[in-house]
Amino acid sequence: MNFSRVAGLLCAASLAAVLAGPVYAQSKVVKIGAVFPLSGNAASAGIHAKAAIETAMDIINNAHPELGNFPLAKDAGLSGLGGAKVDVVFADNQGSPATGQNQALRLITEEKVVALTGAYQSGITLTASAIAEKYGIPFVNGESVAANLTERGFKWFFRTTPIASDFAKLYHDFLKDMKAAGAKTDSVAIIHENTEYGTSVASVIAAAFKEQGQPIALDIAYSANTTDVQSQVLQLKEKKPDVVIMVSYASDAILFAKTMKALDYKPPMIIADDSGFSDPSFIKAVGKISQGVFNRSSWSLGAPGSVTYIINELYKKKSGDDMDDTAARQMQAFFVLVDAINRAGSTEPAKIQAALKATDLKADQLMIGYKGVKFDAKGQNTLASGVVIQLQDGEHYVAVWPKANAAAAPVIPYKGW
Amino acid sequence: MRRFLWPTIVLVLVIAYPLLFTTPFQQRLGALILLYAIIASAWNIVGGYAGQVSVGHVVFFGCGAYAAMGAYAHFALSPLVGIPAGIVVSVLIAAVVGVPTLRLSGHYFSMATIAVSELVRLIVTNVDYLGAAVGLSGPTVPRNVFDMSFTSALPYYYLFLATLLITLGITWWMTSSRMGFYLRAIRDSERAARSLGAPASRIKLYAFMLSAGLTSVGGSLYAMMFGFIDPESGLGILISVKMLIMAALGGAGLLFGPLIGAAILVPLEEISNNLLGGKGAGLTFVVYGAIIVLLARFQPGGILTLLNRLWARRRTSRSSVTAEGASHAP
Amino acid sequence: MSTILVQVIVGGLLLGAVYALFSSGLTLIWGMMNIINFAHGDFVMLGMYVAFVVYTLLGAGPLVGVPLAALVLATLGVIVYFGLIRSVMKGPMLAQILGTFGLALLLRYAVFWGFGANFMTLPENIVGGTFDVFGIRIQASRLLAGVVALLVTWGLHLLLTRTSLGSKMLAVSEDSMAAQLMGIRPDTMQAIAWAIAAAATGIAGALIATFFYIAPTVGETLAIVAFVTVSLGGFGSIPGALVAGLLIGVIESLSAYLIGAVYKDIVVYSLFLLVLWFRPQGLMGKM
Repeated sequence: MNFSRVAGLLCAASLAAVLAGPVYAQSKVVKIGAVFPLSGNAASAGIHAKAAIETAMDIINNAHPELGNFPLAKDAGLSGLGGAKVDVVFADNQGSPATGQNQALRLITEEKVVALTGAYQSGITLTASAIAEKYGIPFVNGESVAANLTERGFKWFFRTTPIASDFAKLYHDFLKDMKAAGAKTDSVAIIHENTEYGTSVASVIAAAFKEQGQPIALDIAYSANTTDVQSQVLQLKEKKPDVVIMVSYASDAILFAKTMKALDYKPPMIIADDSGFSDPSFIKAVGKISQGVFNRSSWSLGAPGSVTYIINELYKKKSGDDMDDTAARQMQAFFVLVDAINRAGSTEPAKIQAALKATDLKADQLMIGYKGVKFDAKGQNTLASGVVIQLQDGEHYVAVWPKANAAAAPVIPYKGW
Repeated sequence: MRRFLWPTIVLVLVIAYPLLFTTPFQQRLGALILLYAIIASAWNIVGGYAGQVSVGHVVFFGCGAYAAMGAYAHFALSPLVGIPAGIVVSVLIAAVVGVPTLRLSGHYFSMATIAVSELVRLIVTNVDYLGAAVGLSGPTVPRNVFDMSFTSALPYYYLFLATLLITLGITWWMTSSRMGFYLRAIRDSERAARSLGAPASRIKLYAFMLSAGLTSVGGSLYAMMFGFIDPESGLGILISVKMLIMAALGGAGLLFGPLIGAAILVPLEEISNNLLGGKGAGLTFVVYGAIIVLLARFQPGGILTLLNRLWARRRTSRSSVTAEGASHAP
Repeated sequence: MSTILVQVIVGGLLLGAVYALFSSGLTLIWGMMNIINFAHGDFVMLGMYVAFVVYTLLGAGPLVGVPLAALVLATLGVIVYFGLIRSVMKGPMLAQILGTFGLALLLRYAVFWGFGANFMTLPENIVGGTFDVFGIRIQASRLLAGVVALLVTWGLHLLLTRTSLGSKMLAVSEDSMAAQLMGIRPDTMQAIAWAIAAAATGIAGALIATFFYIAPTVGETLAIVAFVTVSLGGFGSIPGALVAGLLIGVIESLSAYLIGAVYKDIVVYSLFLLVLWFRPQGLMGKM
């Protein structure tokens, strides 16, 4: 491999990009960058995210009258920019904060994207958004939950997803209701993996429950991507908690489901924290032996003919799977970003930033179950929320709580297999 | 003076690179090559010259990176302060780890270093002071120039280049000293070296400590550039493997081997990711893996060995002087 | 002893047997040729995918999947030997690491390309359900893997110690030049060793697939366990891999249950380093 030739190619490519810049502006294409884990351990999530964003692109760029008043759907392209089309450049963060940052830099400086979205893992969102901040490019995140992301005083970072403190409150309120309905919810155990996701979510939940006067009875941490979870399941089996809250990625979630069956352990109630338990792989692989697991989600499929149902059909054509919560939150973040660009009527970063700050989407303008989208001074969506869903038939999650959003009544105890 | 001609030309080209290739990504790519060249060259001291294949060098990398980020996160100091702190800690760790593990032969040493680095990673994942699983981040909006948080890659490029030159200088000085002589003897046959009176254990330990300190500097520089460190990116086994394969690919035990390895692998990785990564089909690593396999298959001694041999052949054909480079040929 | 504790230990032994199973191939290669195969975990992964394909296309379980995995992997082993290993063995040890690391990426992402990144599984009771013996639950699929682990270990051990093929292989590993003078062709012997080792690894993969998830990156998770198992047992010692595998399985399970799951690997690595301190050649390795 001749390095100077490669460098030369790179140089030529960037030159071409510079020359092509004004041409693009004329043909009205808005370029947005998306950084996701498209290889490595989290690739399954990244590839679903990619399908979700491609689906969103289809909805935005082509006329979809069947989606009714859903923002950006009716006409082809962006009305605020004279029908301009949206083009997304995807990049692979390879599960590395360094690669994520390199790719964000490339998207900004070589691909000339006007805004960024991504990057799934909180650590990578952190490094990638740091580059966006330095270059003054808006970064809209829809799925990373680490609390510190919005505590950095960034001016160009916006996050639409609910974060750990929101889930903690959701779980607590849900359990309170279930207790009122006659379920036993006195001792709550948390089992979580020990990467940044599991640790931070579990500690926030534990703190929130303690604050409400109901400390967590048993807290089991384990290393992610483990080879075996028998001991953890046996610990639960011995302590017999009334409720088990599980925070796991897909690989471990599958192992837990299989091991629980092998060891014949069924807690009265399982609440899964999204992520692995929402992954389509989980439902396909072990859904039938995890019937009745509760999960939090901001996404629900809805009735046939509804906006969400149609979006899911479009998504299914791209990815082969039903839409899961993580992909849906990513898709929503992308819609929020494109909506801001549309309202800004410009691809100038500062104008997009101003439009994002002014975002005030109502619940009926979203494809996801948030109460709305409105950012606070730190860039966090203050109206993000979720519902509790349940895998009743082992194939599809249905919304069961709160009652206003419920499609079915919650079923207890946990059925398993 | 002819032997200095080519190194001088190369040095001038390296210094001029970011002025010739001016886009931010090209400059960053240059900086990345130098960064990996630093850590691979540091690894080369113990892995190449002493022949002790450490697969746990990421521990020292992590020390430097955590020291730099810790200085900022805990004491609001410049990450630069972390450089000496990282060196001290990693040299100490090298001494403590080196004494028992360097006794081990061949692959047992490699496995022991893997175990040590995994152990450190697992422990750090549970230490809140070091950010546990969440990691430590550096300044994004710099307070002053000493926060080492730049938008352009240019300052990093020249900082890394200076560090690389120092690393290579130290390596060169070491190899041309008595220590280098001992190291080569140990690599070829430790038993023979011992029987001839070389203090093998002590020399290996010194090399290990020197290598650890330099690796740590590389770790600190990495953290400054990316502004973030967590157990996976700072202590993951993949970084140890990268140091090793860059040195091996370029030519382990040769002064410029790791630099050449980095100059091939880093662009290969970045460019294949740029071109193929966005498709999400895993093709990046199919290409990357296949190229590594081919290089290992057809040039097991490293690229530099091949260059040296070609160079030597050209020289012998021009004049009948015996080529120096021939001693490197396998 | 409480039932739960017995269950933990039984679970650990069954897990350990699986560790031993997927390590036996690695130790064979390592001992014979002094090569670290960084692609070993990905060989296991390929075995798992063979089992998956067999199930998807033919609806068949391990009865078909295991022999087929052995066959496919043995073929791959021979190809890898002649295509890569034979050349890198002429170079320094680093070239072996370089070559097999590249091979690992190539195999892992070729599968990723073909099958996608989704996690997959075989049906729950493809081997049979779970027995209940005096309150101790034993999964049929894990038991099968454990029994096969013992058989494979025993078989490999017999092969190396009791057959002429085995003595020829050992002769090559000890002194390839001398063996050649005796009329043994080192190339053939080493290719056979690769075929056998890869077949054993394929069997391991096909069996693990019956109770584990299947994904392109699963090899990474398993490889490091195999490395520790093999070096704890002693490079090249097949009984050593069995003992070390069982030991690690039980220690992992017990420490996860008694101390906490995040500490189990810390305990295993510490113990491993401690063993190397006192026995630098591993538990059953030769100096």
